Amino acid sequence: MNTPRTVLFKVLRTDPAAPVPRYDEFRVPVGSRTTVLDALLAVRRLKDPGLAVRHSCLHGSCGTCGMRVNGREVLACVTRLQELGDPVVVEPLAGARVVGDLVVDMEPLYRRLEPVGRPLLRASERAGPDRAEAAAAPGTGPVLEELERFEDCIECGLCLSACPVAGDPRFLGPAALAAAERVLEEPRGTEGRAVLGLVDDAHGAWRCHLAFECSAVCPAGVDPGGTIMRLRRRLLADRLPRLVGKSHPHQEVPS
Amino acid sequence: MDAPHVIVVGGGGTGGALAHDLVLRGLAVTLLERGELTSGTTGRHHGLLHSGARYAVNDPESAVECIAENRILRRIAPGSFEENGGLFVALTDEDMDYRHNFLAGCAACDIPTRELTPVEAVGLEPGLNPALKAAVWVPDATMDAMRLPLRFFATARQGGARLRPFTEVTSLLHAGRRVTGVAVRDHLTGREAELGADLVVNATGPWCERLAAMAGVAVPVQPSPGVLLALVGRLCNLVVNRLHGAADGDIVLPQRALSIVGTSAWTVEDPDDLDVPDEHVQAMYREGAKLVPAVASAAERAAWSAARPLIGASGGEGGGRELSRTFKCFDHAVTDGVEGFVTITGGKATTLRAMAEATADLVCAKLGLEAPCRTRDTVLAPHTAYYTRRAA
Amino acid sequence: MIGAGLRRGDKRRLVPRWLDPHGRHLGSWAFVANRLTGLGLVVYLYLHLVILSTLLRGPEAWDGMVELFRRPVFLAFDLLLVAGLAFHGFNGLRVALVGSGLLVDRHKALLVAAGTLVGLVTLVAAVRIVG
Repeated sequence: MNTPRTVLFKVLRTDPAAPVPRYDEFRVPVGSRTTVLDALLAVRRLKDPGLAVRHSCLHGSCGTCGMRVNGREVLACVTRLQELGDPVVVEPLAGARVVGDLVVDMEPLYRRLEPVGRPLLRASERAGPDRAEAAAAPGTGPVLEELERFEDCIECGLCLSACPVAGDPRFLGPAALAAAERVLEEPRGTEGRAVLGLVDDAHGAWRCHLAFECSAVCPAGVDPGGTIMRLRRRLLADRLPRLVGKSHPHQEVPS
Repeated sequence: MDAPHVIVVGGGGTGGALAHDLVLRGLAVTLLERGELTSGTTGRHHGLLHSGARYAVNDPESAVECIAENRILRRIAPGSFEENGGLFVALTDEDMDYRHNFLAGCAACDIPTRELTPVEAVGLEPGLNPALKAAVWVPDATMDAMRLPLRFFATARQGGARLRPFTEVTSLLHAGRRVTGVAVRDHLTGREAELGADLVVNATGPWCERLAAMAGVAVPVQPSPGVLLALVGRLCNLVVNRLHGAADGDIVLPQRALSIVGTSAWTVEDPDDLDVPDEHVQAMYREGAKLVPAVASAAERAAWSAARPLIGASGGEGGGRELSRTFKCFDHAVTDGVEGFVTITGGKATTLRAMAEATADLVCAKLGLEAPCRTRDTVLAPHTAYYTRRAA
Repeated sequence: MIGAGLRRGDKRRLVPRWLDPHGRHLGSWAFVANRLTGLGLVVYLYLHLVILSTLLRGPEAWDGMVELFRRPVFLAFDLLLVAGLAFHGFNGLRVALVGSGLLVDRHKALLVAAGTLVGLVTLVAAVRIVG
């Protein structure tokens, strides 16, 4: 008889009554599709209803199930056990206050994001094969001049956890800086100048040390590291005319 | 005099919208959710802001609710929807026959439609199957399944609602046949507590029978899960529906850089123990590819199940598709002789505000309050405020 | 089965966050190495000045110092110094370029190039030191 393959889970638990966090061990069955989140929810259902874990969409779109698996930041709902070894070590995200077990306080991330004021929606690209020749005839139906879509960033906080210098609470961090560059690239009616002042700062874009951990772990294709470098180029382009005395600081949003 | 205290059990979209509505009417609200907010069924849906067209033929009551809320939500939650519209696409002669009833049904439900030729449809949405026979444009839109309800929670919290995720109700408190509060365990601290209330609302979706049982009452709700797929790549910009009576795999819609294909239907007893049957996953690929061919070769990001709370007798045949998608409030004083306890269930993600209004009307009536609903015109706080701003 | 194992958790960091190697990728290693070589070079600079001050004590003291530094252990240290200086310099160029928003998509390739140059320079230095 075939016994299903199992894997040993070591989950870092934080119990306010205990002086130090501890690793609890669970043996979890592995199917072809089983994700880290599936395993944690099975543990919660069958072994310990007190296991606190954030989740919502189950498909890498809401950003709530961020955690560290074998030391690396991932979204638990799209991380398959088949791709991991044995044992699997599960810990909450780094840098933020642990509220309980795998749940961390997301306020530090949102505190940084909010002043940037990036709108959730942006212009979208046309999907599908190029059908330029099949454009709607005028006056016979709705033609979408502008398609819109949600910004890529799902506010999961993996980047902030992975960043080696985000321990400094004054540093804006990868998510907020990438959001700022998006606002400057595509203003959508926001105030570019205010954002420039926010990021052109020792604790803004210039605090990044190019570890690119953020880009390595981002599950949504934001590439925060690369985006911060684009932001820096924009800031330098703004400064250059000032250095040669051509224009005043932050008068126009530089391209 | 202190404001009456209502405990809302269930942190999904319905609970959030209800907390918001009750706070605006001047009540004190405590919301309890055993996990993260929207971690039940709400967070898992495909993100469709219904035009109601899908229900125009077989479930016009639902359709009318949907189109009304579609308009209201765009007004009170601006910037939270990809407003690219949707298409109902006919691929076969059968679909073409269905088109007549479909258009008539939409017209009867006040859902605007526009018929398109295949050339126009593909021009509008290049991701479509070029072999389509006809298409009808409808005012579908897409939302972020978690962040839209989170705006209700954020506004409720700013208004003074106490929101307590990771707090699970372990039993109800009774005085005779009256529910007087709840006993809870806080999963973050492990501590147990008792909370008194003037009224307890059961807003736990497909789990509502579990909570109802604690009150010694039954609710006729059938948990009915369906499988959804998330594929890598934004394969379409509009919502693409199949123009036929509801069946498996008949919707493909975008979500950032992913595409969602759904869904199927079966019935279960326990909404916490959901499979992802492989035949259903294959059916999604097969049917979805008929609408948007790129589905067939797209990489899979995730496959998951979500349980709808369908109102109807438990143990229904047919997997739950024939049950209405409308919502219902149950005043257990009337149905079961148990005071102080009300259940709201059924419904769709799109109708969260309407469900809350109906429930809040019932709550106020039972508490003897004259307080009109203000949620139709109150613009919601941004979802980020849930994390950054506490009570006003 | 829930194990009762009580082990030291994440609470007390054994190393500062920037030095924590868990789950880190290539870009992080370059950053850590840049910091360590930078610190090392600062320490070396100070030591170098201290040693140079031996000149003030006359030619015999200076010759004695030079003889000391001809010993193999110090020659090895010299090689390490060359490698560290080369890395800090070449990676520093990479950081200056990429950090100004140029060649951002190639930052890994630039790191490999820098590493290759470091290897070459160290090799040449090794040959000259031994020879």
